[in-house]
Amino acid sequence: MDYKITMPQLSDSMSEGKLVEWKVKEGQKVKSADVIADIESDKAVIEVQTFKDGIVKKLLLKEGDEAKVGTVIAIIDTDIKSAESDVIQQNKSKEKTPKKETIKQEEEKVSKKDKPHEIAVKSDKDIVDFLFGNEKEEKSLPKGISTPAAKQKAFKFDIDIEKLQNEEKLPTPAFEKDIDQILVEKYFTPKAKKLFDKYSLNFSYFKLDHKIDSDEVKSYIRKYNIPKIIKPSANQKSVINTVVKSWNRPIYHIYEEVSIKKKEGIKLTANILKALANSMCKYEFTRTVLKNDTFKVYPSSNISVALSKDDSLYMVVLKNVDNLSLKEINNWLKEIKTKKLSSEDLSGSTFGISNLGMFDIESFDALINADDSGIAAFGAMKESRMKVIFTFDHRIVNGVRAAQFVTDFKKELEKI
Amino acid sequence: MLYREALNLAIDECMQKDDSVVLLGEDVGMYGGSYRVSEGLFAKYSEKRVIDTPIAELSIVGNAVGMAIGGLRPVAEIMTANFSLLAFDQIVNHMSKYRYMSAGKINIPMVVRFPQGVSKQLAAQHSESYEQMLSAVPGIYVFAASDVNYAYHALKQSILMDDPVVFIEHELLYNKEGKVDIADEIDPFKARIAKEGKDITIISYLKMVDDVLKAVPNIEDELSINCEVIDLCSLNPVDFDTIKKSIAKTKRVVMVEEDHKMGGYGAQIISRISEELFFYLDAPPLRIAGENVPIPYNRSLELSSIPTPQSIGEKIITWGRKNGL
Repeated sequence: MDYKITMPQLSDSMSEGKLVEWKVKEGQKVKSADVIADIESDKAVIEVQTFKDGIVKKLLLKEGDEAKVGTVIAIIDTDIKSAESDVIQQNKSKEKTPKKETIKQEEEKVSKKDKPHEIAVKSDKDIVDFLFGNEKEEKSLPKGISTPAAKQKAFKFDIDIEKLQNEEKLPTPAFEKDIDQILVEKYFTPKAKKLFDKYSLNFSYFKLDHKIDSDEVKSYIRKYNIPKIIKPSANQKSVINTVVKSWNRPIYHIYEEVSIKKKEGIKLTANILKALANSMCKYEFTRTVLKNDTFKVYPSSNISVALSKDDSLYMVVLKNVDNLSLKEINNWLKEIKTKKLSSEDLSGSTFGISNLGMFDIESFDALINADDSGIAAFGAMKESRMKVIFTFDHRIVNGVRAAQFVTDFKKELEKI
Repeated sequence: MLYREALNLAIDECMQKDDSVVLLGEDVGMYGGSYRVSEGLFAKYSEKRVIDTPIAELSIVGNAVGMAIGGLRPVAEIMTANFSLLAFDQIVNHMSKYRYMSAGKINIPMVVRFPQGVSKQLAAQHSESYEQMLSAVPGIYVFAASDVNYAYHALKQSILMDDPVVFIEHELLYNKEGKVDIADEIDPFKARIAKEGKDITIISYLKMVDDVLKAVPNIEDELSINCEVIDLCSLNPVDFDTIKKSIAKTKRVVMVEEDHKMGGYGAQIISRISEELFFYLDAPPLRIAGENVPIPYNRSLELSSIPTPQSIGEKIITWGRKNGL
């Protein structure tokens, strides 16, 4: 396939460009993004790249020539194997025949080769002239049953609505979006089409006069800085809701450092959970949630634990932690990583913990989960000591009670 | 500010600014206007400038035409559109034609104001709309105020304009709440985009704009699309540029009017769209209008004879589904 490089429009006011220098020669192999020429616009000299791999088949301007925006300045043969043999043959024939004739022959070859590939696209002016009655030649709209807008588009791209409707490739009546569908299939490779859908692209980014492959779509995505469209999953939506709700709560922090003893085969998180559960038994507010202007105090320690799983964040709840042994807690922590979580596993907590120690984070603060009264965020253990930042909801507890609770938690943790 | 208060403010400011502005009509003076539009003006400007007239519409407009010829700026109020029929000879043959007949020597700087349309059980002889007939008369501007801010600015400019204007109001809009931005520079001839959108253009005017806006959320939910709502504001001349820009974007058009479908004003708009914007359209145009019956007195029959937010929604959704949305 021939890939044509045209004189680019480098500024709004540019109508002509001057070819300053070719950076490639005819017959040279080029790769996508290679600079092929320097072009001077009315403002600056700018490099022109090729967006496809291939072999330079023809350079149509001489250095110093000027050409209008849109004129073809170079042709790249993207079919590398055949191009290579073409070039070899041409080189051979060049040796035998006088120079001038070769150029003529080449020109003929190029124009003959081009014609079957050319896809007829009418210019906007042609269409306006025709549709609104200013046309000079007699042309006719495509037959078939469609809306006027669909017919106009079909006319522009020479799509035979009637034929496609007979083949049941177009619905009757056809709307503009159906013609768009045909155009996408006609001008985009399947891979390019996937990208087109994924990025919710618009035709206006592309000139529909050649088959567009995924590389070209990618280069447009980069050029116009188009973001990929992702709809949040149900889980992401619920996380968004929860953290926004949490951010609106009147909170404060208590910064502390605790000492902790690592036990063989027992996760540090298990130690923390056990100590926290013991303290929670003594301090009612940590078992309290505020809902609909009512405080609800739960009888046992139900703790939510931040867990990252499949790129999502879950606050998994362990209930009655005060009645569990260290080993049971440790087993639960292991199980929960592989277990399929139910809504039962994600509700009913009154206090939470989050631990980023395994990532060697020194300290951080966390957002309070759902209706919990507070959360404790643990950093990495250094010489048996750990930084922890408590976050409390001031509607549920004041600083004095919270401080007493934190002090008690430190003692409980040292006991374990 | 209420719609009727905005109109009152516009008239008041004009009367204060220009001594030649006078108000005349049935009960506009001591009573303060049937819809309280001229409330307080009688006390402020006295009976020479706020004139109570007999129940004789032809003479109200006829007198106003005479005053205008004589150099005043009269604002004539007619109680309801149905009664304006009695004044049509003055409106059509005199008010709109003097400038033309006098080769520009005589200006008619006057305004005829009246409410029209279906209110609540006023029955067949008090519920009609006549914008279609008035828009067919060359020589007068026809404005229809739906928006409170537009009502204030357009009426003020109508009174101070040197050409005759028919200013159409709606009985159910008088107590509509809205904001008036005094500093706003509004061109009364320009249509108002009441809501921006990209998939359907819904054109309307007067009270139906509000009904359309009420129907839009449901339409957008059901069809997962985005509606653009245009309030025409000026019925003659029509701001076709705004319509064209919108349809070039949305490619679909719905016209909503309260008047009977047969001979209704919207037919003119759709006709011009078909002539000039045919190749933009990606769906047949839809017209939603009243039934071809005298407006019934019975409330439920009355409501079923005109478009309502619910029926507008249902019709646009059905039409949209049928046409690939």
